[in-house]
Amino acid sequence: MEEQNKSEWNLVLPILALVSFLFVVLRMNPDSFGFDASTSSFLIVAVPLVVFPAILIIGQVYKGKDLWKHQLKEGGIIALAALAITLALTIWLIVEFFAHHAHFDEQGTIFDWITFDILLEDKALTESVFSFGIWIDSVSLTVLFVAAFLCFLICWFAIGYMNTDPINEDRNHRFFAEFLLFSMGMFGMVLADSFLWLFIFWEIMGLCSYLLIGFYWEKPSAAAAAKKAFLTTRVGDVFLMIGLFMLYDLYHSLEFAVIFGDPTLGGAVHGVDLQWPLFFMFIGCVGKSAQFPLHVWLPDAMEGPTPVSALIHAATMVNAGLYLVARMFPLFSEHHFEGDLSDLAMLIVWIGGITACMAAFIAFVANDIKRVLAYSTMSQLAYIFTGLGAACWFANEGYHHLATVAFGAALFHLFNHAMAKGMLFMASGSVIHEMHHAHDHVHLYDDDDDHDFDPQDMRNMGGLASKLPVTSTAMMLGSMSIIGIPLIGGFWSKEGIIGQAWNVYLHGGEMILFPALLVLATAGMTGFYMSRMWFMTFAGKPKTEAAKHVHEDTPWIKTPLVTLSLVTAFGGILLAMYGFQHFLGEDPDTAHLSSHGLLYTLRHAFLPEEMTLKLVGWTAILLSAGLGPFIAARMHGGRLDDGENATPMVAWLVDLSGSVGRTDVGELAEGGFAQALHNRLYIDDFYEYLIAKTILPLAKISAWIDKNWVDGVIKGIESGSQSTSTWLRQFTTGRASDYLLMAAVGMLAIVGILWGVV
Amino acid sequence: MITFLGNPLTVLTLLPITGALLLMLVHWMADDEKREMLANPIRYVNLGIALLMLLMATLIGLEETFGLAWGEYLYQNCEVGAVSTGSCTLISSIGVSWHVGIDALSFPMVWLTTLLIPITMVVEWEAKKDGPDRAYFHSLILMMEGALIGVFVSLDLFVFYVFWELTLIPMFFLILLWGGSDRRYAAQKFFIYTFTASVFMLAGILVMYFNNDASWVGNITGKSFDFILMETSTNFIASEGLRSVVFLLMLIGFATKMPSVPVHTWLPDAHVEAPTAGSMLLAGVMLKMGAYGFLRLGVTLFPDQVIQFQTLLLVLGMVSLVYGAVVCLGQINLKRMVAYSSVSHMGLIFLGVATLQPLGIAGAIFMMFAHGIISPLLFAVCGSFKHHYHTLEIDSMRGLAHSSPWMSAHMMVGWMGSLGLPLMAGFVAEVAILIAFYMTFGWWVVLPALTLIITAAYYLWSMQRTIFEGGGDVQLPPTMRDEEPRDITWHENTGMLILGALAVIYGIYPDFFGMFEMMSNWASLLVENVIYPPEVNP
Repeated sequence: MEEQNKSEWNLVLPILALVSFLFVVLRMNPDSFGFDASTSSFLIVAVPLVVFPAILIIGQVYKGKDLWKHQLKEGGIIALAALAITLALTIWLIVEFFAHHAHFDEQGTIFDWITFDILLEDKALTESVFSFGIWIDSVSLTVLFVAAFLCFLICWFAIGYMNTDPINEDRNHRFFAEFLLFSMGMFGMVLADSFLWLFIFWEIMGLCSYLLIGFYWEKPSAAAAAKKAFLTTRVGDVFLMIGLFMLYDLYHSLEFAVIFGDPTLGGAVHGVDLQWPLFFMFIGCVGKSAQFPLHVWLPDAMEGPTPVSALIHAATMVNAGLYLVARMFPLFSEHHFEGDLSDLAMLIVWIGGITACMAAFIAFVANDIKRVLAYSTMSQLAYIFTGLGAACWFANEGYHHLATVAFGAALFHLFNHAMAKGMLFMASGSVIHEMHHAHDHVHLYDDDDDHDFDPQDMRNMGGLASKLPVTSTAMMLGSMSIIGIPLIGGFWSKEGIIGQAWNVYLHGGEMILFPALLVLATAGMTGFYMSRMWFMTFAGKPKTEAAKHVHEDTPWIKTPLVTLSLVTAFGGILLAMYGFQHFLGEDPDTAHLSSHGLLYTLRHAFLPEEMTLKLVGWTAILLSAGLGPFIAARMHGGRLDDGENATPMVAWLVDLSGSVGRTDVGELAEGGFAQALHNRLYIDDFYEYLIAKTILPLAKISAWIDKNWVDGVIKGIESGSQSTSTWLRQFTTGRASDYLLMAAVGMLAIVGILWGVV
Repeated sequence: MITFLGNPLTVLTLLPITGALLLMLVHWMADDEKREMLANPIRYVNLGIALLMLLMATLIGLEETFGLAWGEYLYQNCEVGAVSTGSCTLISSIGVSWHVGIDALSFPMVWLTTLLIPITMVVEWEAKKDGPDRAYFHSLILMMEGALIGVFVSLDLFVFYVFWELTLIPMFFLILLWGGSDRRYAAQKFFIYTFTASVFMLAGILVMYFNNDASWVGNITGKSFDFILMETSTNFIASEGLRSVVFLLMLIGFATKMPSVPVHTWLPDAHVEAPTAGSMLLAGVMLKMGAYGFLRLGVTLFPDQVIQFQTLLLVLGMVSLVYGAVVCLGQINLKRMVAYSSVSHMGLIFLGVATLQPLGIAGAIFMMFAHGIISPLLFAVCGSFKHHYHTLEIDSMRGLAHSSPWMSAHMMVGWMGSLGLPLMAGFVAEVAILIAFYMTFGWWVVLPALTLIITAAYYLWSMQRTIFEGGGDVQLPPTMRDEEPRDITWHENTGMLILGALAVIYGIYPDFFGMFEMMSNWASLLVENVIYPPEVNP
């Protein structure tokens, strides 16, 4: 215990940074300096950008030194301090935004990246600029807060997780530096005021994702996963780039202010022309947010260290695609585009519906705790896509109020999901970490240590509820939020999304019926696979020796779990009462905290006026909170070993799971469909087959052709003049001095001729 | 009469050539004992001259960036009026003058050359050949610098052609004497191939010469090689057909140099056999001679033909880009792969010019510059593979990041820069070219864009199979035998760090040292005044 306190004592530095920063800001009269929240917001990007190379370089030089390793946690403390500053700036920004958000519309440019001319149809040159600036509105603030808050907590977690593992020794500085670079990319993407800079930061995140997935580059699976992630998202990114080119061609600018701001410019563009650019940009979103058919990288990305999975592949980076769709949203609601873009909106809903269901199915059979969460991430992101698609459809069909409701619900789910999933990944990290340590402990003096032991496999766990009280509680709350148990976290937003998807159907979008059914069914499936994960891990009897010896004693990793548990448990309802959806969708002024808000929200969630919606809502609740967990409990639930007591927070759930009876599903798990699910529906195999059968042979053949045909012609000419070359070869004696002599004589001759002629 | 001494460009051109020749002469004349002693000082003198050159070029740039606009030729030793009176003739009888000048197209190339030369010298500080001959190595590089700068600054086509061919000589020796196992073949192929191509260019230059009237005392032919006279002349090659022929002749010469498919096969062989410094210069500057010549002589003098042959340029560029990338994917030799990636990237330059958009042309020029920074880094990395692991076979090693962390870091930076990662120099050029490309050719943009995926694929795949994997320990290639693996030397590290830093600086701030701005101005002026001149569009 003492040692633990000592290690967290290092927190003095980041906390000091946070407090002193806030102190300085509050003491100073901001206006007199021309320095306020909005003008200083570029620091949110600049601070990590400056600190990350510092950590990298100092770490490379001082690695192994006591101060660096134990006091600064191989740079973790520095990273945490930097993230504390960005979090403080973000909070300040939000406070200021509420105080007088009217001034936040346009922040001006920070610097001009490139300035150039373009030639228009009439052969006239027009100057155009790609500049970097800051754009702040309610959407960007929401995502920014999610990113800054989670980056801070996950960095905190990572100090505990990474620095206690000997395999990471002396290379954690690389982790923390890349982590900071990633945060920089995320903050930059959210704050950028043009699609171009959004894309630039988007790619920076892709790079960091590559670097962090490949953190254990010596593992072939990690190196392959990193490459797969980069290339798969690259496919999407390239289409996004094409979309941006098209958008540029239409507006001659990529700045939000120009594209959304100027009604005359909007008037010159036809909605039909926007279909393709928006479609291509959406492909980019599909790649980044791991939606079908570009989802294959996300499960493999779990090769990275767990904090990375939590940060990048659950909480922040995968939200980038959603954020971009949210940024495209105003174009859908442009008045004179009415009806032109509804097919695209429907496509977004379809992609969302298909992915939600597919990922949930695959999660049924996943045994790796992180992969369950990965598929769950895909599925939940798909929900958000469905909600955004519904919002886009409403907007394009002219139902502006419903559009804002759906839009708000979708982004609200983004918030809830990010918080819950970030916590779930950290909790799973805690489980894996402790399993790993327990396994090492059990087999400490064991010669026949089985190296095949997988600390991530849930079949090795079981009964951990009594050993990991904080983790099991956090995981329970997170799972409940994801499942959508009434009143907790994600319930509020998920209800909204499913409801609005059906609402589209009621308003004439018949095409949505299939995806709407899928998301409804997925609600129940979510209930099953999340409960399955929890029961397999925490309920029942320990399935291995290691699972019996697990202890929750690693420092640093409890604090973020507790913090996020509180946010997950109460954040949803508080924000719902506050009218968060309206804050996102409409004028922020309408949002305020009130008991009236609570009643309104409750009535809206449980007793909508429309009969179909009421039916859909209650079906979703029954499926997700009732049927799914019930089946999961019958299959995987069970009481703990005698004498083991779970913390009261989760004991009721363990007991409940032990009292619903037992179903054996061994036969079902052997079935063909289960096998297909184990193989991820063969989609990865199909892609691999496709690549191995098309582009790779093509490359080999091209290389051969280039060597033998294209160059062969030249070689033919050469051998034809064999005699000449034989003669020439006399002069190539191989001695430098001979050649130099020849060269010098030649040069002298040339100079001589020149002088002579002159 | 020669009025060229005292002009900074003249000094830039002739100082390294004379310096290098003198140093080689000194070395050659010394006896064996002294040679050994002299080798090291000669190296330092070479480096000193190269750094002095960099300083001079930087000063020229600074003065112009903050002083004058780049719209015209600066630092001419000889104004146009003086050219036509023959007051700066070099060979009076046939109308050759010493006429140098610099503008926003040539300055980036000159600066790039002066920047790369010291870096290449430092990277291959220990020219790996034993014995006294190695002292020639750095002198040859210095001589190369003079020839390259001569190409970029000369405004007289005769002199231009002489320098153009002069660049071949040091490179020929660099490959022949310090190259790999098959160096003799590669050196000959390189020389003969590019020499043959430039004969076409020479034919074009001669036609241009005979259509460029100028006469002064002593001028027997009544013609001049002067570029400015051609540019300003109102009746320069009147016949449309002849213009097309000349344009195509020039195109053959330049496309081979760039190189463009199908006349690219000299490049991989030359690169694979060349020493590190040779490859770095070959990719960094020599390929740009082709692009520079095309912009300077092809586009500026024959704007109508560029419009006429726009499709040809499009096809050349597209085939180079796509085919080059696909061939890269099939390579098993690291350096050969990087060489083909140069072919692929050079294709983008043709595409940029073919758009006939100021943005596209500016992007093409920036591509020349960005590729000039990034590709030397790539070849330096390849060189360190060859140097420390004695092989370039991609699949023969794993996990080298264990034994060579710095080399791996540089590989990562270079590879990422070359595949067009944002905030690195290559991305700026790619975005500029592709946006302009879409504005001109529309949906065809899908092809170059998809090629970016292939580019990413071959780079990432090659990294995975060399520096990564290995399962906890490094797997050395068989060529290592019992040697202990080492990381790169501090010489190599310094050079690569500078290149990597520049690639990032130019990605974040392309206007650093005024670069993108001057290129964009040049491109706008070209499109405004030359390609679509005002009288066509009043």
